[in-house]
Amino acid sequence: MITGYARRKITNAAALVLSACAAALGLFFLFYILADVLRHGIMSINLKLFTLDAAPPMMAGAEGGLRQAFAGQLMLTGGAVLIGVPLGILGGTFLAEYGRFSKIGRFISGLSDITVSMPSIIIGTFIYSILVKPFGGFNGWAGAAALAVIMLPIVIRTTEEMMRLVPWTTREAAFALGAPYYKVITQVVWRGAAAGIFTGILLSVARVAGETAPLLFTSFNNNFLTFDMSGPMPSLTVTIYQYAASPYEEWVKLAWAASFVITLFILIINILGRQFIKWRYKN
Amino acid sequence: MEQRDVILRVRDLNFYYGKKHAVQGVSMDVEKNRITALIGPSGCGKTTLLRCFNRMHDLYAGNRHEGEIIFKGKNILDKDTDVTSLRSEMGMVFQKPTPFPMTIFDNIAYGLRLKGIKNKTELADRIEKAIKQAALWDEVSDRLNTSAGGLSGGQQQRLVIARALAVEPDVILFDEPTSALDPISTGKIEELMTSIKNKVTIVIVTHNMQQAARISDYTAFMYLGRLVEYDKTDVMFTAPNEKLTEDYITGRFG
Repeated sequence: MITGYARRKITNAAALVLSACAAALGLFFLFYILADVLRHGIMSINLKLFTLDAAPPMMAGAEGGLRQAFAGQLMLTGGAVLIGVPLGILGGTFLAEYGRFSKIGRFISGLSDITVSMPSIIIGTFIYSILVKPFGGFNGWAGAAALAVIMLPIVIRTTEEMMRLVPWTTREAAFALGAPYYKVITQVVWRGAAAGIFTGILLSVARVAGETAPLLFTSFNNNFLTFDMSGPMPSLTVTIYQYAASPYEEWVKLAWAASFVITLFILIINILGRQFIKWRYKN
Repeated sequence: MEQRDVILRVRDLNFYYGKKHAVQGVSMDVEKNRITALIGPSGCGKTTLLRCFNRMHDLYAGNRHEGEIIFKGKNILDKDTDVTSLRSEMGMVFQKPTPFPMTIFDNIAYGLRLKGIKNKTELADRIEKAIKQAALWDEVSDRLNTSAGGLSGGQQQRLVIARALAVEPDVILFDEPTSALDPISTGKIEELMTSIKNKVTIVIVTHNMQQAARISDYTAFMYLGRLVEYDKTDVMFTAPNEKLTEDYITGRFG
């Protein structure tokens, strides 16, 4: 007969072993993928990757890079930040301040949580139907908008959370000096929440920088360097998708190199964001 | 009770949070350049009364008031009162220190800038004056441009008082300003309040009876939303008229 105490000990040990195994499995694949990308990427990376545009495959002596995709990716991500960050901060501010006791506020807050885990391809098709089809073709703005929609709930929710961390009496103290609400928000609350909001923005950029699916339906791809956001825009992720699936060895190598760069970029932004949080709580 | 120079005249003040009748028919005169203490057990309405003076209740929905509070010849409870200018004449200091997330200098400049003072020398002069009045100058004069969050709790509370003093208000309302502080910091704040009362009228809510006895000139005892007794502090603490006041002051309930 196993006593209650022994049973609890066994259950505890079993839970510990199972969760450790699950964690080990996850970590194994995480490091496997990272190592694989690093190994292949480092072998394929060189300066030409950043200085030359794509070249047709199988041409003797033709050398190619992915300059167009890097430039396009930067413009798409930058466009997404331009659209998503101001909207997200204002939305989060509404939820934390004016709408904090309202039903609609709680509803939007809950909706944002759901949107965070919405499959990005659905956002892509949604943007396709409102910004691609009516305008007659794939374009960079649609891509930036799709990424912005993915960023939006992340920025909204971090802004809201960080602003709620500013004690209510701090606001009352500003009111007590005769400050109107908009000044209390912009001069006191935003200041207190700035580091946290900035971290949220960084993490949301890291999230969208690796998105492929929403771009397939919106900015599509382009093998030429372009700064015209109203036409198809090249992006790293879609280029990786197309090059990796191609039969040409040079293209596959470029895809590895691009994967390496984008993985590194996302990793660095994530680490920076997390360091920022740590640094903030130390002060 | 003989009153000389009345700055706040409260008449038949009733205050309701929804259905809760938190302040019930209070009438009292607050004398200028004196310290008036509001004492009473938790939930007796003293903080509610204090927050009527600077219309803090306006921030929240679902409450209403009746009666009058006359300040500078006007009923500040009137709908057309300019709450912004009222609050710059009626400062408030809270239980927990409320430094803003900015430098010491900017904290104190905040209220001045709200009033439209932008001139750098004027700002610097008034900030120095306010910090000196708050007995904080020696401790912070070499680090005005560092974050106010780095100060100790007691220093932060004096910073907040300096911030309130900088705009030169007529009244400063203190809501249990020392209940989150250690005895030494408390002593400094009490000294500070006594030293500024020739410039500003002080109304203080306190749970600390000794504090009320030490620093205040007048004491008002509130119980269950009513003003039970209001008199000179030495009268209140030595020969109160009401049995209830005596019981509370001697610690028989509360």
